[in-house]
Amino acid sequence: MRPLVRWALVAAAAAVLVTFPYWSAPWVSRFATTVVRDALILAIFALSLDLLVGRAGMPSLGHAAFFGAGAYAAGIASQRFATDQLPVTLGAAAIVAAMLALVIGILVVRSEGIFFLMLTLALAQIVFAIAFQWTAVTGGSNGLAGVGRPTLASLDFSSPDAMYVLVAVTFLLAALVVWGVVRSPYGRALIGVRENERRMRALGYDTARLRLSAFVLAGTIAGIAGALSAYSTRFVSAQDAGLGNSVRAFVTVLVGGAGTLGGPVVGSALVSLIERIVPSLLPPDLRISEAILGLVFIAFVLFARQGMVGLGTYAWLRVRRR
Amino acid sequence: MSPELVFQQALNGLSFGALLFILASGLSLVFGMMDVVNLAHGAFYMLGAYVALSVVQATGSFWVAMVAAPLALALLGLVLEPLLLRRLRGRHLDQVLLTIGVSLVIVDLVGLAWGREVRSLSAPPGLDGSVTLIGGVYPVYRLFVMAFGAALAVAMAVIYRRTKIGMLIRAGVEDAEMLGALGVNTNRLFASTFATGAALAGLAGVIAAPVFGVQPGMDTDPGLLYSLVVVVVGGLGTLSGAVAGSVLVGPADTFGKVLFQEVALAVIFAIVALVLLLKPTGLLGRIRIAR
Repeated sequence: MRPLVRWALVAAAAAVLVTFPYWSAPWVSRFATTVVRDALILAIFALSLDLLVGRAGMPSLGHAAFFGAGAYAAGIASQRFATDQLPVTLGAAAIVAAMLALVIGILVVRSEGIFFLMLTLALAQIVFAIAFQWTAVTGGSNGLAGVGRPTLASLDFSSPDAMYVLVAVTFLLAALVVWGVVRSPYGRALIGVRENERRMRALGYDTARLRLSAFVLAGTIAGIAGALSAYSTRFVSAQDAGLGNSVRAFVTVLVGGAGTLGGPVVGSALVSLIERIVPSLLPPDLRISEAILGLVFIAFVLFARQGMVGLGTYAWLRVRRR
Repeated sequence: MSPELVFQQALNGLSFGALLFILASGLSLVFGMMDVVNLAHGAFYMLGAYVALSVVQATGSFWVAMVAAPLALALLGLVLEPLLLRRLRGRHLDQVLLTIGVSLVIVDLVGLAWGREVRSLSAPPGLDGSVTLIGGVYPVYRLFVMAFGAALAVAMAVIYRRTKIGMLIRAGVEDAEMLGALGVNTNRLFASTFATGAALAGLAGVIAAPVFGVQPGMDTDPGLLYSLVVVVVGGLGTLSGAVAGSVLVGPADTFGKVLFQEVALAVIFAIVALVLLLKPTGLLGRIRIAR
């Protein structure tokens, strides 16, 4: 495909995505907009995690700490400053998440593999516990209710459809940023760190700084995803920063396919399907979506470690060879 | 704080530490042998507590539960290791990822089978009273937990150092592949190690139940979170590391909760951070967690 054609297709797909609530209205219920919106937030979250898991080779199991930090920062900033201005609340989310990622990052970037996973999990879980217990600031176990929908100059995102558009546009921007980073020399260097860190050091790269900067970048994007979630649901729960949410992002990345741009996106579609659609097909007292998610995850780890994108590529190659 | 309160909190801290040892020793044992951090350890702990709940309901005896729950967990471990982990032998990170999936499934099924309410299990008759100690009354059960944890540590040390099984464990921790080359059936060894780790998590679940209750979320807090913190602080894969980590983290957490209340976990965070920066192997471990 020629580049121009490809760009035109991408632009068309983006336009279709952003306008979803407007053209889908006659066919599907309003619930669909909510489901797609939440799936896109999960996709942003997963895209940021994949920078670590898939590119830099840093399997973080504590990414929800930054998602939660962003959600709380957006909510608390809008309450304390009594404003719904997007630059203020989203800015607060990005800054707080980045600072938290810097602090945790300094502690964890010196470890690798299983140990990295273990440390990110433990430190993030402590962040969660503080959010859960520090009632005066975070609302503790009651959560933070009444988060306002943002406004930007004369744009008002308080209606569900406008909120969806904000999420979809942010998703496209986040995907563009991740795409740009991965293609840049910096992104190549990250992959080099994953493949052979010792060699990258020998080539003169400051690998610790590379890993730390990736950790902060990923944390910041996760914080933005958290803020979007807070606006959308008008609520922040301590669970947003909890292990369950970290695991959810990790499962999304792996099931979709780590180290690919499409992986986190198709992963979030599958995870949303399991979480939001499957329960409505089962008897109401049979709440087993987490268990189904677990089984799907186990199956992918055992039999399809490259995720859905990997399976798709494999199938495509098989078809082409015929 | 008055001296009496300090003494009471020290006892609380030590009994929590003893509990942490029971919990973390299983995680550490499995890691030492198989190089796998079992992230389903918290789920095993939770399942142990819920199985105990049902056993106590059926038989009326806490002591039966204390045998039955670890046995049930051991059985589960014996099934899961060959079914899942063995397929990915040598791919340690993927094995760890598998245990995340296992944890999701167990926790959800526990919620389905036992409900998602907060439950409680009372201490067995004879241990449900309290005694007068310096500065006031103190629950007997917490003293029992302390004694039990200490006894378990001693028993495990004796097994490690004095028995054939202990010899195999030490050799396996040193180099499991070499042990296989020398004719030991590592499949059986790994399966039984994993089962023992699961049984210890189940045992911790039973013993913790009268103190911390039985509820959703216990799989991560205290289950997985504290066992990870203990092994990071104390050092992975060694018995002495698990002891050192528990004895430090138990009292630190307890005093943190008294002194700093809402932000008590910041104390634990600080300890983990300090250990990582100053002693990346943990206090008594052999494996470097960070460079």
